[in-house]
Amino acid sequence: MLASLLLISALSSAPQMTVQVASQSLVEGGARGIAHTANRMIGGIISYARWPDDPSPAPRTLCVIGQPKLADPIAPEMPGRGKLVVRRTAAAEVTGGGCDILFLGRMPVSDRQRLIAWVRGRPVLTLTDDDPNCLYGAMFCLAGRTGGLGFSVNLDAIGRGPLRIDPRVLKIGSDDGGRP
Amino acid sequence: MTAPPTRDKSAPRTTLQRLLSRFHFGITLFAVALSGMTILLAGVTALRSYADRNIELAAQLGAYGVEPALVFNDPVAAREGIEPLTHMAGVARLRVLDDRGRPLAHWTSPVSDPTPFLTNLFFPDPASVPIRRNGSVIGTIEVWGDSSTLTDYVRLGLLAGLACLLVTALGTIALARRFEYELVKPLNEIATVAHDVRLHRRFDKRVQTLRIAELDRLGGDINTLLDELQGWQGHMEDERAMLAHRASHDPLTTMPNRAALDEQLAQRVQSAEARGTRFALLFIDADNFKAVNDNFGHAAGDAVLIALSACIKGTLRKGDFAARIGGDEFVVIIDTLDNDAAPEALTARIRDCVEDPFTLPDGTRYSASVSVGVAIYPDDGGDTTALLTAADAAMYSNKLARKLS
Repeated sequence: MLASLLLISALSSAPQMTVQVASQSLVEGGARGIAHTANRMIGGIISYARWPDDPSPAPRTLCVIGQPKLADPIAPEMPGRGKLVVRRTAAAEVTGGGCDILFLGRMPVSDRQRLIAWVRGRPVLTLTDDDPNCLYGAMFCLAGRTGGLGFSVNLDAIGRGPLRIDPRVLKIGSDDGGRP
Repeated sequence: MTAPPTRDKSAPRTTLQRLLSRFHFGITLFAVALSGMTILLAGVTALRSYADRNIELAAQLGAYGVEPALVFNDPVAAREGIEPLTHMAGVARLRVLDDRGRPLAHWTSPVSDPTPFLTNLFFPDPASVPIRRNGSVIGTIEVWGDSSTLTDYVRLGLLAGLACLLVTALGTIALARRFEYELVKPLNEIATVAHDVRLHRRFDKRVQTLRIAELDRLGGDINTLLDELQGWQGHMEDERAMLAHRASHDPLTTMPNRAALDEQLAQRVQSAEARGTRFALLFIDADNFKAVNDNFGHAAGDAVLIALSACIKGTLRKGDFAARIGGDEFVVIIDTLDNDAAPEALTARIRDCVEDPFTLPDGTRYSASVSVGVAIYPDDGGDTTALLTAADAAMYSNKLARKLS
């Protein structure tokens, strides 16, 4: 009761922090299993995102910044015939363009803040695996959960950009399904 | 005349109304059952295809809902994805399989199937829809239907059929009533007339004009038959009366004959005995009648007899009775004798009449004479034979006395 009151007050006082903690995928096979599940999750999320210039003839580019925590080595599994180009990039090079998706690994807080600020209003999807509570502005945050791996959705971050995310994914990533 | 066929009284009988009612009910029942079965079968077929479509649509909806769950391999999300389907009527069981055929989510209706037999019959296999993502199959959703909608429909159909049956029964009764009025009533009228004619010999009865053409024709035929019967009856009665008259009367003088006298006398004796009254018997015989026959011929004899009978008839009072019992012999019964002089007075009157001369066929004037004997009941005889014998004897003595004088 108290927790829900706190949550309500948090939601009303800081709308930019509307964070939904939800999804929980099954993980099979230890550390490698975690990486596999994370890559599958990243691929799934990307496949449900729509860019304003879709359908694009060229595959989307995923720029990895910093050191991934869960998805290591990072190689997103796209469901079906989806294609993706993965590129490691330094934080400073991102603003030059060419990235459709930013994967934010472990990095200095200042870099992260700068990148999040730069992304605002641009058709760029942001994912991170270094923010379990999804508080720093990435759109999707992967996090380990008891017995599996899950992701949260930052609806405010998504709302600020022109990207469109399939509502079914938002629903999975949201906390309203009466979960324990 | 042939004997009428024996009617078996013990054979079960049914009224026309009951027969018609049974027929109506049978026909209507057949029609209702036929249409009911047709509608039920058509309904079941249509409902079945709708139920199939429904299950198919449910599977498609489920496929859309659980697609991200399969992408993320998330059983809780899969359960949420199929959750809307669990509220749909006619869905018994759901299962979500991943690309390797392992179940990710499963749901079975908490309501147990009322008719597993029908479910097995109509929905033996689940609707199975593959779930695709960017062109490749990532899983399958399976939806099993149940027959609850069908059984509801069938139950409703049977209830409606029962209601129809009730209406049918009521309608049949009403129709039979109407038929009774329209058909049985005129038939009864015909039967009544026939019965009346048979039992009371009322040959003047006729069937009224009837509204139904066939029955009216039957009535008309019966009326014609009755006309003929009435004609025959009248003719037979005339014939019988003639025969009876001929049997009891003398053709020449048209007076009652010996047989009629015997009957009449027996009656008079009986009634006089019962009432204690008296009556007189006159025995009249023509004198020299044989001579008339011989001298003037039989035609003259007949003329004499006719003249005698006319005289006797002319002197009779009301209640008296006269008969010609043979040749030239007549008998007169004088009813309820109030004074003993009456026979004498009557005799004198007859003699007066007879002795009046009349013309024979050949032109001769002839004056007849008669001998008369009187017998009184019960003084001269207590029964018919004794009375007749006494009267006869008295007549002979009278004839003898007249010859001697």
